[in-house]
Amino acid sequence: MYPRPIPEEKPALRGLYAGFVGLILILWLLPLFAVMLTASKTADEIMAGKYWTWPEHFNLVENFQAVFQQTNMWGYFINSLIITLPSVLLVLIFSTLTGYVLARYNFRGNALLFSLFVGGNFLPAQIMMIPVRDLMVSVGLYDTYFALIIFHVAFQTGFATLFMRNFIAALPDELFQAARAEGASPWQTMRHVVIPLMRPALAALAILIFTFVWNDYFWAIVLTQSDVVKPVTAGLNNLRGEWTSAWNIVAAATLFVAVPPVLMFFLMQKHFIAGLTMGAVKG
Amino acid sequence: MSHVKLIDIDKHYGGYHALRSINLSVDKGEFIVMVGPSGCGKSTTLKTIAGLESISSGEIWINGRNVTREEPGDRGIAMVFQSYALYPHMTVAENMGFGLKMAKRPQTEIDAAVKRAAEILRISDQLDKRPKQLSGGQRQRVAIGRAITRSPEVFLFDEPLSNLDAALRTQMRVELSTLHQQLGSTMIYVTHDQVEAMTMASRIVVFNKGIIEQEGAPLNLYHNPANQFVAGFLGAPRINFINAKLVSLRDGIAEVALEGGGTTVHVPVGDVGDLKAESHLTLGIRPESLKIGPSTEDTAISFDGKVGLVEQLGRETILYVDGGPLATIGSESGTRNFTVQLGNAAGFSSGEQIKLSASTSSLYLFGPDGRTLSRPKSIIASL
Amino acid sequence: MWKKHRNWLTPVLFIVPGCILFGTIIIASSVESIWISFFNWDGVGQKSWVGLANYSELFADPQFYVSLKNNIIWLVMFMAAPPLGLALALLVNQQIAGMRILKSLFFIPLVLATVTVGVVFGWVYDPNYGLLALIFNLFGATAPALLADEHFVTFAVVAAALWPQIAFCMVLFLAGLNNLSSDIIGAGRVDGARGWNMLWHVVLPQLRQVGFIALAVTVVGALRSFDMIAVMTSGGPFGSSEVLAYQMYEQSIFSYRFGYGAAIATILFAIMIVFITWYLRVMVRMERETR
Repeated sequence: MYPRPIPEEKPALRGLYAGFVGLILILWLLPLFAVMLTASKTADEIMAGKYWTWPEHFNLVENFQAVFQQTNMWGYFINSLIITLPSVLLVLIFSTLTGYVLARYNFRGNALLFSLFVGGNFLPAQIMMIPVRDLMVSVGLYDTYFALIIFHVAFQTGFATLFMRNFIAALPDELFQAARAEGASPWQTMRHVVIPLMRPALAALAILIFTFVWNDYFWAIVLTQSDVVKPVTAGLNNLRGEWTSAWNIVAAATLFVAVPPVLMFFLMQKHFIAGLTMGAVKG
Repeated sequence: MSHVKLIDIDKHYGGYHALRSINLSVDKGEFIVMVGPSGCGKSTTLKTIAGLESISSGEIWINGRNVTREEPGDRGIAMVFQSYALYPHMTVAENMGFGLKMAKRPQTEIDAAVKRAAEILRISDQLDKRPKQLSGGQRQRVAIGRAITRSPEVFLFDEPLSNLDAALRTQMRVELSTLHQQLGSTMIYVTHDQVEAMTMASRIVVFNKGIIEQEGAPLNLYHNPANQFVAGFLGAPRINFINAKLVSLRDGIAEVALEGGGTTVHVPVGDVGDLKAESHLTLGIRPESLKIGPSTEDTAISFDGKVGLVEQLGRETILYVDGGPLATIGSESGTRNFTVQLGNAAGFSSGEQIKLSASTSSLYLFGPDGRTLSRPKSIIASL
Repeated sequence: MWKKHRNWLTPVLFIVPGCILFGTIIIASSVESIWISFFNWDGVGQKSWVGLANYSELFADPQFYVSLKNNIIWLVMFMAAPPLGLALALLVNQQIAGMRILKSLFFIPLVLATVTVGVVFGWVYDPNYGLLALIFNLFGATAPALLADEHFVTFAVVAAALWPQIAFCMVLFLAGLNNLSSDIIGAGRVDGARGWNMLWHVVLPQLRQVGFIALAVTVVGALRSFDMIAVMTSGGPFGSSEVLAYQMYEQSIFSYRFGYGAAIATILFAIMIVFITWYLRVMVRMERETR
């Protein structure tokens, strides 16, 4: 264990240390606390310039109500859901299938394909921007959910395939040999041997992809325009531009945007961390 | 004055009482082996001597200094780990010289010490290699070499041979014993292998569940175990234990009824304090003490058995014998058969009926608390 | 017939959709962008071939050098993320009650959308009511309007981006610390390595692989940065906080100069290729070393 563990025999020191870390944490999260504070203020307080005082009237709920009733945030939220959930599902499917083949079948070009998937990860979005946008315009999918779904599925499949391929490659050979000895077809092997074992990887990947797609901003502004389709990231930025002085509302909206990924993270924390480190370390 | 002294060491892990009141005194130049089953506390004790683990109470003294609060690097110890723990990014020479480098010794001194240690361990031609280029045995030597260069007061070994294959293990065992003779240093060695303990130690310390069951010279522990645990731990194949009950105790002779045999033996026990009739006792017979053939005048116990399994080892034969109603408690073979060791290549076959007997002077008797009540009289019994 | 061929046909079927999707939308698009950079195009009309004219214009464009300079600033400042991430990882790597929750809370910046971080820090920097203003006011000074100042704006934006980046490095290093060999650490302690010596000679060498990944992720993040700039400054004031990625976007979408934008993207792409090749080569070498 590194750094040296503070011995159990010294509870006072341990408590002090935890307190110290807590203090650092508060400093670390200070910007967020600032947002939470502002989101709890009433409009009058904001007008009066009382930014850093404790809210006289705890207005958080009302501010959230305002966000839902007076802005498009709820609509944006639904859009995000419509875009993200199918994307995650499709990415999982494609990456599992592709990763499986790359991991277990030796063929010429396997290494090349794999490096394309790995390399594609590093590409800046801008290098694809014009042709992708052009493509979506020419097939009439510009400013629709499909544009974003198609793009995200395509792009995230790169990272996800890398992830899945490494995971499947690490499964013991004997399993596959046993399946082959029993005459299983590739599809059967996939269904009965691989997928049951992959649950933790699938969970980790799902939460990672969810976070990446939900948090995307660039493609949201490149491929969509109207509020009907816009996801929550682009929506928030718009809101900030429109509601410049109602900081309490904007703050509440910010929290609203922040909550889903944070919630997902806490619920699936083990998987999230495992996913990040698995994909990163193995890659 | 002892070179290493452990005084009333206690250690708690959370709610678990890992070490209970450990007391040990090691003289300069001794080769102490700490043995015991998994989880008995031997490795933990070693690590507390090294300073890698903390203790809840007690004191540790090395060479007349109280090192209880000292860092491992300041205690004058060097340690050889089971996994060798070589620094993977350093060469062999750098690995071996690292301790001296941390002590800020001049490079010439470091180089000389490394060269010397490498010669003793015959790895002088490996000095520029990285650990991953070496075999297990070679890595083992580097780990030992790293310890030697530091010229420590005490060498600590944590199951160093466990990761080696059988042949290499025997070879290294001999080499370590030779090294000890050569250097004359104090060595404290941990292993779960009682063969290593018996062959290498000047003194064995038997651990069980966080306490020291017994310590002493190997043969002393073998012939005069203080309790049932020690008797069962030392000796391969393992001693045969039979459940028994005290019938009567008179004039220093215990009349003991064996379970399942209808047999009774008389064992001289001397003064064993207050033992009531019907007390649960355990009889012990070492595999080499079971003789094939009819009773003689010295026989205490004799019974018929059917040979179950025969293991031919060339210089000895091991028989696993079903004693019918008479049975052992949890024997070597996992069944309730008796283990018999014959010192030659005897021609027995499975299913054969044989007659087994043991003399009175070869019996062990253990009380209800496991304490040894009677042990065999032998030439070396005066140890 | 299916059964006869299914052993090779099935994997092909498996792999085709992913490859087609990835190949067309990602790979083909990237190549096409390079092609477009040789044209002048407003996005709707015809493309007109100009050869390398876009590039020569780019190299003479002062904004290009501003963007490049900013990318370098991003890169250099981002190099603080791995060490700070390591420091935080070391800080929280204790098995004390409640440490696990504290650890998770440190990761929050990583999970937030960059938009969110951008908006939040946009406030922090507000000279009237931001966190920065509060701190300055406590000392009786007035806060500078960082985001409106050409000299400081990029630094301010990068500082905001460092928040999630440090958290990411922290996650990686925590994983690395969990994989340390406790025996080797023990050997180091027995050899008398302490504090800095222990960290430098014993621990860090074992963290090399993880550190390398943290470095790679950080470099890629610095070169690719877009969201934060778009949200916090829109490249301003007067383009002083633009980076190559943003300049490309601006030229394409706002100035309708898709060919020119493609040229910028290609330059960015080239820079990244250099980095990716170096990374892959070192990675392969590392894997061979540890085998």
